[in-house]
Amino acid sequence: MASKVSKLDEQFKLDAPREKPKDGACSSIFTGVAIYVKGYTEPSVDELRRLMLLHGGQFHVYYSHSHTTHIIANNLPNSKIQELRDQKVVRPEWITDSIKAGHLLSYLQYQLYAKQKGLSFPSVSVHQGQEPAGPLHGRHLPSHSLNNHNPAPSLGQPLSRHHTPTSSHSHLHTDNLHPQPNHYNHFAMAASASRPLDLPSQSDFPPEKPLPIANPNPSPSPVCLNCSHHNVFPSNPTPLETNSLSANTFPSNPTPIETNSLSAETFPSNPTPLETNSLSANPIPSNYAPPHHDQQSAKVKTGGIISEFYSHSRLHHISTWRSEFSEYVNMLQSRMRATGGATFPGRDRLRRLSTAPGPQSCILHVDMDCFFVSVGIRHRPDLKGKSVAVTSNHGSGRVAQRPGVDRQLELQCYHKKYSYPAVSERKDGDLEEITSSETESHISHGNSVDQDTAALSMAEIASCSYEARQAGVRNGMFFGQAKQLCPSLQSVPYDFQAYKKVALAMYETLASYSHDIEALSCDEALVDSSALLAELSVTPDELASAIRADVRERTGCSASVGMGSNILLARMATRKAKPNGQYLLRSEEVDDFIRDQTVTSLPGVGRSMGGKLASLGVRSCGDLQQVSLQRLQKEFGPRTGQTLFRFCRGLDDRPVRSEKERKSVSAEMNYNIRFTQVDEAESFLTHLSVEVQKRLQGAGLRGRRLTLKVMVYSGHGTCDSLARSVTLAQLTDCGHLIASEVIKLFHTMRLKVQDLRGVGLQVQLLEGAHSVPKDPSGPKTCYVRDKSQSSSHRTTSAVSLPSDSLPNTAITDTCTSQENSSSARVLSPFSTPRPTSPAEPITGTSKGEPPRTPNHVDNRLNLSIEVSLPSQVDRSVLEALPAELRERVEHSWTHRDTEKTHNGSHQPLVLQIPKQSGQTGSTGIILELSDFSQVDPEVFAALPRELQEQLRSVYGRRENTQGIMGKNTVYSALRKYSAPLNFLENGPSTSPLQQDDPETLSKFTPCPEPTLAGACDFKDIRTLLREWITTISDPMEEDILQVVKYCTDLINDKDLEKLDLIIKYMKRLMQQSVESVWSMAFDFILDNVQVVVQQTYGSTLKIT
Amino acid sequence: MTTLTRQDLNFGQVVADILCEFLEVAIHLILYVREVYPSGIFQKRKKYNVPVQMSCHPELNQYIHDTLHCVKPLIEKNDAEKVVVVIMDKEHHPVERFVFEISQPPLLSIRVDNNTSAISDTLLSHVEQLLRAVILKISVCDAVLENNPPGCTFTVLVHTREAATRNMEKVQVIKDFPWIVADEQEVHMQEPRLIPLKTMTSDIVKMQLYVEERAQKAS
Repeated sequence: MASKVSKLDEQFKLDAPREKPKDGACSSIFTGVAIYVKGYTEPSVDELRRLMLLHGGQFHVYYSHSHTTHIIANNLPNSKIQELRDQKVVRPEWITDSIKAGHLLSYLQYQLYAKQKGLSFPSVSVHQGQEPAGPLHGRHLPSHSLNNHNPAPSLGQPLSRHHTPTSSHSHLHTDNLHPQPNHYNHFAMAASASRPLDLPSQSDFPPEKPLPIANPNPSPSPVCLNCSHHNVFPSNPTPLETNSLSANTFPSNPTPIETNSLSAETFPSNPTPLETNSLSANPIPSNYAPPHHDQQSAKVKTGGIISEFYSHSRLHHISTWRSEFSEYVNMLQSRMRATGGATFPGRDRLRRLSTAPGPQSCILHVDMDCFFVSVGIRHRPDLKGKSVAVTSNHGSGRVAQRPGVDRQLELQCYHKKYSYPAVSERKDGDLEEITSSETESHISHGNSVDQDTAALSMAEIASCSYEARQAGVRNGMFFGQAKQLCPSLQSVPYDFQAYKKVALAMYETLASYSHDIEALSCDEALVDSSALLAELSVTPDELASAIRADVRERTGCSASVGMGSNILLARMATRKAKPNGQYLLRSEEVDDFIRDQTVTSLPGVGRSMGGKLASLGVRSCGDLQQVSLQRLQKEFGPRTGQTLFRFCRGLDDRPVRSEKERKSVSAEMNYNIRFTQVDEAESFLTHLSVEVQKRLQGAGLRGRRLTLKVMVYSGHGTCDSLARSVTLAQLTDCGHLIASEVIKLFHTMRLKVQDLRGVGLQVQLLEGAHSVPKDPSGPKTCYVRDKSQSSSHRTTSAVSLPSDSLPNTAITDTCTSQENSSSARVLSPFSTPRPTSPAEPITGTSKGEPPRTPNHVDNRLNLSIEVSLPSQVDRSVLEALPAELRERVEHSWTHRDTEKTHNGSHQPLVLQIPKQSGQTGSTGIILELSDFSQVDPEVFAALPRELQEQLRSVYGRRENTQGIMGKNTVYSALRKYSAPLNFLENGPSTSPLQQDDPETLSKFTPCPEPTLAGACDFKDIRTLLREWITTISDPMEEDILQVVKYCTDLINDKDLEKLDLIIKYMKRLMQQSVESVWSMAFDFILDNVQVVVQQTYGSTLKIT
Repeated sequence: MTTLTRQDLNFGQVVADILCEFLEVAIHLILYVREVYPSGIFQKRKKYNVPVQMSCHPELNQYIHDTLHCVKPLIEKNDAEKVVVVIMDKEHHPVERFVFEISQPPLLSIRVDNNTSAISDTLLSHVEQLLRAVILKISVCDAVLENNPPGCTFTVLVHTREAATRNMEKVQVIKDFPWIVADEQEVHMQEPRLIPLKTMTSDIVKMQLYVEERAQKAS
């Protein structure tokens, strides 16, 4: 069949030239379009085929999911529509009209039926063939290096940049002029999924980092273009450029710490401009994923971009604040519990004022008034009461124009784009045209920068004062535009440290009244004041004014307070309270109040739902009240419908959750992902896992369930999201374990790596380590412990090392060379060939090396610790390494092998359950360690201190137990130690056998099912129990309690059958056991279980 | 494919139909296995692809049938928590209680094929497999149970949730066949011992069967 298809394609190509002479009008309108005709059409199939032939398109006789871009049909039966829901089904007029118009029209107007799958990636095709493309960029200026990497932007590569290595300008390619909402989403997604790595990392936001405002470069920087992205992406070129060859954009930028970003500095002082313009090169139809080794994919391949991205993304930072403040509230609460009570200075003060009796339930919603602005101007009284906007532009709202930029034209394109929101087709013919017309207009305008054409600033306004809002300025507007609306508009720069300080002050103020606080974001919080009001018998208004006065005094910024009997009403009241006011929504007013609110003011009703409601004729909450619950549930689903039904009546029963448990920890990137090889994807996943590990450790959590989410390209910028989960046998925060699981998952999905557009990793079913989250050593020790768990095949000294740095460097190196070749390949007629420096690959290699050597005792040791076992290393990665490196890796293996056999000093921590009882006697779960005398002191000294201590204590303990051995007091003696190793809590992974094959244990299961150490399948539980009972001669109390808890869970889950089987199984094993301790343990378990059964069923289990 | 929820009427009926059909088979089989009636009145039939015993005594059959007919509306509304087959000795003290504990997922959703508007076959066949397992377990339950004293009778009890009884009073499904509140004597058993028989979990219903057995049956 495949051969037939290709034969037909062949035939089609052969036909093409034959057709041409017959009809003069031929073009390449449809380049990249492949159609498949279904059913009867007008014009006929033959005619359509001929048209496609003439105009550069493809015609498929057989439908191919991956290659066919459009389905042409006049009408389709319903079942077909269901089947083809994901495809673009277009009426044939699209083709004829496109030909008439002489360029490819948007297919949207020609869709056969509505509600076809939209485009989830921004489509960037502004460059329609007939558009009078002007001077889009000054490519010809020698000081500019164009890094215009994407031959097919519609594939969803949203960012590309131009920059000048010499003068630290950074511009966006015109494609990015259009604030692409989707693009925004992607970052928002990534950021909201984020997690504070740790507190200090936010506060040391270094000012020299190229934040646009803090940019020390005096040059009139044309950041304007960039600014449409500033809120989205922290304007920081590092995450984007790190690994691209184009050198460091900002010379003042501190060297990125990441190992692999070093290659970004390949030419730190190289004045030669690099032009790698691939714009007009390599015409590839947009529906094929280009197998290019361009810079983009290179970046992704060297996964350092992930941590770079997260450590620099401004949005990410702000989004982490919320969780930070939630943590803060949690901390307050736990502290309060610890001290047995709390002092509330604010409350005490208010107590003296107390007069009136308060009402029953009252929620306060405290929200700072235009937070960013008021923080920005709190030390600048001259700006108070003026129109102020927080933005990255400092001055007039005008910026000196970069030569070669025609803002008018760009704006025109921008508007055009808006009127054709989803044109995704892009043709190479267009590209040619653009580039040529660009050149022309460049000649005409480019070098004459006059004030008239000076552009309006495109810096986005993050927040603006109420005065400015009155003039029509809105958040998110471009500064230049706002300036036109409101000429007196002043701009204030971002000041992240101040935001943080003020936010903290606000939370401290609130905490002085109550600890029932829910942090909503950095500048708003909910306070459940019901108890407070009852206790003090003050009115909510008094409380609110006290809080507001306090906040004002402590922060110098004003806050508004909305009050209502539930969260919803409090929030709605805040709208009325603003600015700088307070509003109490009394329960008797609620009905009238809510009736007049627009539906979009309800939380959770955004633009799309608002639109959907509007189409039902619903605009206000009053209208919404007329809609029946059934109707709402039918339209929006049971849960949302119910919520809407209640919200529009002012009902909301969500409690103020001062303590929030994290449900998941994740990291995700849907940006800049272009893999060409499977191992690239694997290494990316490894890096993502490391990022997740960082976050887990930062939160002091460990998780059990992994979800891999991928976005898969499915043609023309649209992406499908797929997700797979796996439940691990034990809790983990170990990046390696996560990575290996995820890679396995990834392979089971059987995706084409080229089609991947986004990858996300989520860890759920979290448990702490949370008991000691504030203790700085807490997570760390837990990590060490975890490490020691999983280290049966890994030496533990990797704890303090970025153990993945080796593969990283390897990839960096290969990328460098790949880029060399690719940039040489994609030379465009317009770009001067990039001078390939012969020293370059060597630079790359040598640059890659240093990070492995510092702060380690010696190189050999270091390597032998970091390099994983030969069996774990991907051969292809190894082969891609430079010969020198490869040799060292291999050398290290052999070295390690020999050493292992000689003294075993490299496995000081291999933990195993003793296999033969003869060896260690009845030591219980004491780890099998090499003798202390055998431990290489040098290795030992190189270990991190915690690990050293832990090792010492383990050795100490062993000596102890060996001393006690033989006496019959083992049971009590062992308990005293409270050994860090808890068999069941940590699951069966202690046995190396199972670690190699975790699939057998980790099976996908619906969450609520009770589990024992992660296992819930009967078979797994049996294995687990058998292992527990047979390998350990002395059960730990905690483990026994775990089993009891599991049995109780089973009873509650009404799964008596399983309980019965498990009890019988344990009875058999435990009573057979030679140790009398085990039968005691069984009796204990059984007694507990019987009590629960008795309570639940009024009878006891019959045990035969 | 759309998703049906409990709100959709027809769904509750589906579950009730399946369960009542099963309960009928199960009750017949229990009566046979526990020798409440002489084995002569039973006939071998095939149900769920396994052999089962079914009584051919018309009045007994009618009683079972009517009872279940009244149980059905309860299950339909998810009001029945347990259906209990109680086997009592001559003094009307229970010796064995076969408890079918039924719980339906609160926010139930099953996928239904739009075209045929029927619950998909795979789901049904899965449920059938599970039910078959329960039936098989019943047929061998005599292995774990003591023999019953001679002259036993049986009755069927339903444990309802919350206020379901109030509605039951109002609606009599079958004329002259009303529900009555069970005697305390019938419900309570001295020294009960619990023997779990089988638990089944499917998308639409979760049911476990256990037997409560009186410690001393002879007395």
